[in-house]
Amino acid sequence: MKKRWNWDFLMSRYPAFFPLLLLAVVIVLNLVLQPNMFDLETLNGNMRVFLPLILVSVGQAVVLLGGGIDISVGGIVSIVNTILATRVGLEGSPELMWRYVIISIVVGLLAGAINGFFIAFLRLQPIITTYATSFLYFGLALFILPNPGGGIPADIASLYRTSAPLGIPLAFYVIALLLLIWIFVSSTRYGKYLFAVGGKPEAAYETAVPVTWMQFSTYVVAGFMSALAGIALTMLSGSGNAEIGESMTLNSITAAVIGGNAFSGGLGGVAGPIMGALTLSFIQNIISFADIDTWWETLVKASIIVAALAAPGTIDLFRRRRS
Amino acid sequence: MKKIRISPPVAALILAIILFVLSGLLPNGYGSDLAVAKAQAVNIVRLAVFLGVIAAGQTLVIISGSEGIDLSAGSVVTLTAILTYVIVSGQNEKVLLALLVSLAVGAVIGLVNGVGITFLKISPFVMTLGMSGVVTGTIIVINHGNVSGKVAPIMTKLIARPLVLGIPGAIIIWLVFGFLMWLFLERTTFGKNLFAIGVNRVTSKLSGVNVIGTNLATYSLAGALAGFGGFLVVGNTGVVFIALGQPFLFPSIAAVAVGGTLLSGGKGSYWGTMAGAIVLTLITSLLTTMQMPDSVRRMVLGGTLLVLISIYGRQEALRQ
Amino acid sequence: MAESLSAVNIVKRYGGVVALSDGNLDVKTGEVVALIGANGSGKSTMSKVINGVVVLDGGQLLLDQSPVHLSSPLAAKKLGIATVFQELSLIPQMTVSENIWLTREPMTNWGTVSAKQVREKTKELLSLFEGTFKTALKPDDVVASLPPDEKQIIEILKAMSLDPWLMILDEATASLDSRQVQRLFELVQNWKDQGKAVIFVSHRMEEIFRIADRYSVLRNGKTVGEGKMSDVTEKKLVELMIEKESIFEYARMELTAADFVDKPVCLEVKNIQTSTLDDVSFKVHEGEIVGIGGLRGQGQRDLLLSIFGDSRYQGSVRLYGEETNFRHPRKAMKKGIALVPGDRAREGLLYIRSILENLQLPSWSRYGFPLKVGRAKRDAKTVGQSLNLVMAGLKEPVSSLSGGNAQKVVIGKWLMRKPTLFLLDDPTKGVDVGTKAEFYALLTQLCEEGRTILFYSSDEEELIGLSDRVLVMFDGQIRTELRGEALNKENLIAASLGATNGVAQ
Repeated sequence: MKKRWNWDFLMSRYPAFFPLLLLAVVIVLNLVLQPNMFDLETLNGNMRVFLPLILVSVGQAVVLLGGGIDISVGGIVSIVNTILATRVGLEGSPELMWRYVIISIVVGLLAGAINGFFIAFLRLQPIITTYATSFLYFGLALFILPNPGGGIPADIASLYRTSAPLGIPLAFYVIALLLLIWIFVSSTRYGKYLFAVGGKPEAAYETAVPVTWMQFSTYVVAGFMSALAGIALTMLSGSGNAEIGESMTLNSITAAVIGGNAFSGGLGGVAGPIMGALTLSFIQNIISFADIDTWWETLVKASIIVAALAAPGTIDLFRRRRS
Repeated sequence: MKKIRISPPVAALILAIILFVLSGLLPNGYGSDLAVAKAQAVNIVRLAVFLGVIAAGQTLVIISGSEGIDLSAGSVVTLTAILTYVIVSGQNEKVLLALLVSLAVGAVIGLVNGVGITFLKISPFVMTLGMSGVVTGTIIVINHGNVSGKVAPIMTKLIARPLVLGIPGAIIIWLVFGFLMWLFLERTTFGKNLFAIGVNRVTSKLSGVNVIGTNLATYSLAGALAGFGGFLVVGNTGVVFIALGQPFLFPSIAAVAVGGTLLSGGKGSYWGTMAGAIVLTLITSLLTTMQMPDSVRRMVLGGTLLVLISIYGRQEALRQ
Repeated sequence: MAESLSAVNIVKRYGGVVALSDGNLDVKTGEVVALIGANGSGKSTMSKVINGVVVLDGGQLLLDQSPVHLSSPLAAKKLGIATVFQELSLIPQMTVSENIWLTREPMTNWGTVSAKQVREKTKELLSLFEGTFKTALKPDDVVASLPPDEKQIIEILKAMSLDPWLMILDEATASLDSRQVQRLFELVQNWKDQGKAVIFVSHRMEEIFRIADRYSVLRNGKTVGEGKMSDVTEKKLVELMIEKESIFEYARMELTAADFVDKPVCLEVKNIQTSTLDDVSFKVHEGEIVGIGGLRGQGQRDLLLSIFGDSRYQGSVRLYGEETNFRHPRKAMKKGIALVPGDRAREGLLYIRSILENLQLPSWSRYGFPLKVGRAKRDAKTVGQSLNLVMAGLKEPVSSLSGGNAQKVVIGKWLMRKPTLFLLDDPTKGVDVGTKAEFYALLTQLCEEGRTILFYSSDEEELIGLSDRVLVMFDGQIRTELRGEALNKENLIAASLGATNGVAQ
């Protein structure tokens, strides 16, 4: 039983292979434009900005894995940000901060549960449902904080910004933790159920997999991850803004897809969206550093993203033509 | 309990009527003044035209199945609006050219979407999302600041102002458009093929349908229709700005869903989308007239949408 | 372990359609009960009720004489009932072992799934069917890459891994070839000896008489007869199943291959080479019904798809002497070829669309612009009548039809175009006896009109009775041709196993 280590084998058994390749390319490009990229200060400066997107993308990936989609994640991030900015304030104490961190997480879980309830139990379509709830959540954020303002204590913010135990930025610890958790989860029954539901819900149902609860749980996870992202984002910016989560939604989906998450459920791991989020973020970085006319930035960035998305399919096409 | 079968478009229309009647009872409402009621109704429908036309392309790609969707519609609308604005520059003679350019540009963008989706196996959500970024980027490059241009008088006359019996030209255009869409979907081979590939692509191919061609043509057509939408929008408002098309995007999807077209594909109609567009426009316009902070308005919109789809957007239960 | 299960006066409705109005079934440990009935009789619904997949609207289920309520498939599992369905409950993207052990994975102390135990136990189960697969089946194979017969076997093993006291085999043999069925029946015998009970839902009379102890017949949602297999004949069972008292004999009027030699050659296939086909060559004369036989997965489907233009191949295919080079089924269609595919739900029908649209799918371009729907409806109705299609109306969705009628729509879709060459891939799979007979009559008549038929069937009796000659495929090649006296069951089975070569008369 020889294993043939060719492109097909790698692509099907290790779906994270191509995203890894892509990320490597992007990092090299970044290195060229920003030679001090791996210096602790620069690296940390980058990673702390990237972390929120990484967190949201992981949550989105779990939802996609279960066969759904969540376009309200940005709204949840915004709610958490506005809660922290208004309740804790610039003068807040650490205890107050922790209390509201816990509350934010609960809020995230609740928001996710609402999504999950409508989609899994009432069997509504995910796109439209999360579109509707995104209005709810963004509206709520706006209600809590109509104008940008508020904030969190400066020392807590700088804790996040400068943390680098053992000389490695905080973000890497978080990523490592996520990967470990995923490796564990994917070998539990829950993980198998998740793959089953994402693969073929009717078959999973007949096999007595608790499909409804599984789909519900993916949205709760997304809510949780969005809350964490909101916390990180607030600690990064130090202030509040109801629109802060706006771009995160579509970016998280792009990141998850670049990371190799098949859109209709069933495949994918968590390494994928993490790499996808990093790739997307580094592309943004590259654009800023490359000396491109401001007017051209958006177009260049979008083109690179489309190229990244098109790459696996194009390669496949050429290989099929050749055979 | 016997279920009465109302077709989704009719249900949406009934809903619109109910909402409209309710709106009359509100403090700012028309009360029992029929003339005002008529004027308001006409205005609502007129506003709905633009969403309705933009949602036409969306209807097509959603019917085509395989998670079909067009997230580039918003940016295509903005682009063609700007192009129209610049080409016309206030001259009536240039209007036809602007229209053709809008259709052509939209079709090309749609075709690119189609190629990525069909040949490169990129999911429609992601492909059209990516293209919307590219189109927006292109707009910024063209825009470089401000564009100078102007809408031609004939456009305003046809689109914005009343044309026949006090009914704005836009509505008449929409009705004709709606009829053409029906004809296209229900009375052409292409339309039948579109529904077929939305249900089952393997069966379609084994029954002789050119699945690839149909898919490409659908996305291209959707782009062209979004282009038409952009042309109409600028004809109505007379101004362009970078976020012109964006507010139409997700509502266009909602309109299709509320109108009874299955988001999974293979079943639906444009009449439904038209009714859905009216319902959505009615709700947003109601909320705008009611005095409330933007935040509350958004929440109410979200909640209302949620209630709407809970009533008739439900999918099959797992257990029968 | 329970001892008996009874279904008493079961009622089940799907919306307005009554699937079961009075279903009854008794099964005890150590016996096999055959649940028989035509398509639309409620067989599948009955097994779904017993398995907890659907809710019953009336009647009772009694386990050891006391009532039970099955609220979900999980509840049924807990009571020791396992089902093997024909529409599989496998997750295509997961592996063989993942699928078999889903929800019952052996765990480690850490709360994770024990990959080692999973692999070992899967190997144990796979060994039960050893020797009956074309390719070696491994625990880590992804299910999506397996052929239908192997998927069905995994489905069976999955049910077995539950160690249930009651096994329901719902058309489980439909995708299996004779070798695999033999092995399955050996297992069933073991189960009986171990004291398990089996409900065997099937169309295949021969298998029913081989394996069942008792029978229960459903007709139009009602149980119309039950008793011991030893007390009944095939004729009697068929009579119970359908209201007409007729026996269907489908031997063609004593035609032999020799009668066709002088006719023009309709189809000539030379040196076809694909990933599954190996140098396939043969000729079919006009008016012949040529059958393709052999175990499943020997390339039969690929051969038909290649002729139809849906599969790339090297070699030559000629239609009435003209070289074809079909790149798309559309081209084949225009030249008068039709293909009735093997999986009607997945390949032959648009389930949520109307019967009209299904019948006209390939032919809309004939109706001009704008489409003359009235004419289309009339043409569709004519075809429907000629096929004896039982339906509520042309605009009803095809999903409202029973299996046999749905298959009629698939055939009708092509009949409308009056094709010269009819390709059929297992056309009577999952079709009841009454409809089968109608098909045989239809196919025979088509040939009398001068059309040509090439079909694959996994049903030996059908092959023998209907074909003028049979090309038996093995390992991507046509190994044997059987005609005349040599066309009998023993030779057919032997040839399917690759035992003989050449042409036998």
